[in-house]
Amino acid sequence: MNGAQHILEAFHRHNIQTVFGYPGGCIMPLYDALVDDARVEHVLCRHEQGCALAADGYARASGKLGVCIATSGPGATNLITGVANAHRDSIPMLVITGQVPSALIGTDAFQETDVLGMTLGIVKHSYLVESADELPEILEEAMALAQTGRPGPVWVDIPKDILLAQTTAMPNSPLAQPEATCLDVGPAIAMLRAAQKPLLYSGGGISLAHAEECFREFAECSALPAVVTLKGIGNPGKHSAHNLGMLGMHGSRAANRAVDECDLLLVIGARLDDRATGKLDGFAPNAQTIHIDADAAEFNKLRSADLTVRGDLNTILGELTRALREAPLAINAWRKQCQIWRTTGGFQAADNEEPLAPITGPAFVRQLSRVAPDDTIIACDVGQHQMWVAQHYQFDHPRHHLTSGGLGTMGFGLPAAIGAKFANRKSTVINVAGDGSFMMNAQELATIRRYNLPVKLIIMDNQCLGMVRQQQELFYNNRESHINLDDNPDFVALARAFDIPALKIERTDQVRRGIETILAYNGPMLLHVAIARQENVWPIVKPGGSNKEMIDETRRLAADKKEMTA
Amino acid sequence: MTTENNHKTPSYTITCRMSHEAAALERLCQVVRIRGFRIAKMAVESSIAGADEILEIALTIQGHRPVAMLQSQLEKLHTVAEVILTAPALVPAASRRA
Repeated sequence: MNGAQHILEAFHRHNIQTVFGYPGGCIMPLYDALVDDARVEHVLCRHEQGCALAADGYARASGKLGVCIATSGPGATNLITGVANAHRDSIPMLVITGQVPSALIGTDAFQETDVLGMTLGIVKHSYLVESADELPEILEEAMALAQTGRPGPVWVDIPKDILLAQTTAMPNSPLAQPEATCLDVGPAIAMLRAAQKPLLYSGGGISLAHAEECFREFAECSALPAVVTLKGIGNPGKHSAHNLGMLGMHGSRAANRAVDECDLLLVIGARLDDRATGKLDGFAPNAQTIHIDADAAEFNKLRSADLTVRGDLNTILGELTRALREAPLAINAWRKQCQIWRTTGGFQAADNEEPLAPITGPAFVRQLSRVAPDDTIIACDVGQHQMWVAQHYQFDHPRHHLTSGGLGTMGFGLPAAIGAKFANRKSTVINVAGDGSFMMNAQELATIRRYNLPVKLIIMDNQCLGMVRQQQELFYNNRESHINLDDNPDFVALARAFDIPALKIERTDQVRRGIETILAYNGPMLLHVAIARQENVWPIVKPGGSNKEMIDETRRLAADKKEMTA
Repeated sequence: MTTENNHKTPSYTITCRMSHEAAALERLCQVVRIRGFRIAKMAVESSIAGADEILEIALTIQGHRPVAMLQSQLEKLHTVAEVILTAPALVPAASRRA
């Protein structure tokens, strides 16, 4: 077998059936091998960034390894944003690129870039393959590494001559699993029992560890009031009575209040990101912290923990549940207080019932949440619509909410939805985009058409870069700068150009019917939703500010009024 | 290069053992930089251990962030076998007076 055939054999060994790629000069030996291999479904995207983000969406929706393939030079550089996105959110991904032949590396050859050098900071690990004999072992190691411990993208850059070279080498034994350490949860239980106001804080690490069920069991058994990060949305389930919702910059008042008042923060599978904590000095000022994670490097990085537990979250959560089941926590007064905050400080803005009124983002998302089937996967883009989805859509599982958390990659949603659909053909998959984000990877409409993927596309169009506009309004004296998109294309016509049917709605009375129409259609369909330009995401914490200083619409209006009367 | 600012910056010595593969040193240096430290001194030796080629790297680094954070990030690198943090170097007397 040559190097290219070894790659396909590695795919088969690891049951990788779907890969996302784009061919070109130096990766052509692999594409030649694909001609004779019907076992791998290769999805041709229309831009390498689309390939990487589709592989990312595939991995998020399925929990499996996402694979993307590109050629050297521009093929590789176009992958970079997607790979960085996977890195920041710890998504298991295998990246394979062709490289110029070994003898030409370092000669400024056609389509040569130093891929290994330029990607060091955005991968869990990377390889430049130097001989055909080492390729099978590297592939084996790369696939194991991408999926073990804290997952992440692993990049294998392969010179063309190695893809063509014959080798009889076979991989050795798979990478040893990292040992679980410190599984004594006794000290954590003791701290939980001593606390009067303990709060459960969970993030994306739960689904990365495939610990959704164990987490749900622990959350129910402990009945701890709970907050989630953006990536932890769905962890407690939509029926959890103790879930206070997302915390942080656009979190609920209830969640941020509970964090502010708690005396013990039980952080599981989260990294205390600045968007969640706000100004660290003011974050959970009265609380001790227990930090549980698979990655020891996250401990004490931003906030000192009083107790750290590293290891497999399934095992740890199982131990915690067992201990609490024997003797439940006596924190009823605290639970009651959190329930009050949940009622008064959740995301429960009243819907505008006036039929001819313009559509508002939150009301649209709430309607979508009511109408879409339970197994719906929402792939968001980045911006105001992303926050409205995080705030107002009721997710019952973290893998139903695909969002670019760490990197905040505009253009993520459409290719991620494509990946999610390939991962889960039976589920409804919806890309909720803003008009700015949608245009970043609009070429992937061609991928949807090519594979006739019944992905539903929703563009919440406010004819501007809404999140930037909002921050310019609130924090830059309303000095709008380069956010105007009122020359957007006609999105309905654009979709139709790709042979995708589309319709536009702009009034409240059209919302339900619009959503039902695209969901009922047997194939891909786009819904263009016109929303008001001036609408903001509430509440908001000023970047760098403390979560205690949340601004909501009422407070903002009161401040404006005071200014006018002064 | 020594500047007044360098005198005030905490300094540490780290020794690191890692596989000698493509971009090994770049990978190490990239982590040191992005995690908030600068390299003041670096000595590298390669050796053979069985079938593997190993790099022994001694680094003197400067930075204001907790060095334990850097250590844990370096330990995460797949090709790093060991990171040993020696006691922080003594801060020069002149800067202590400053």
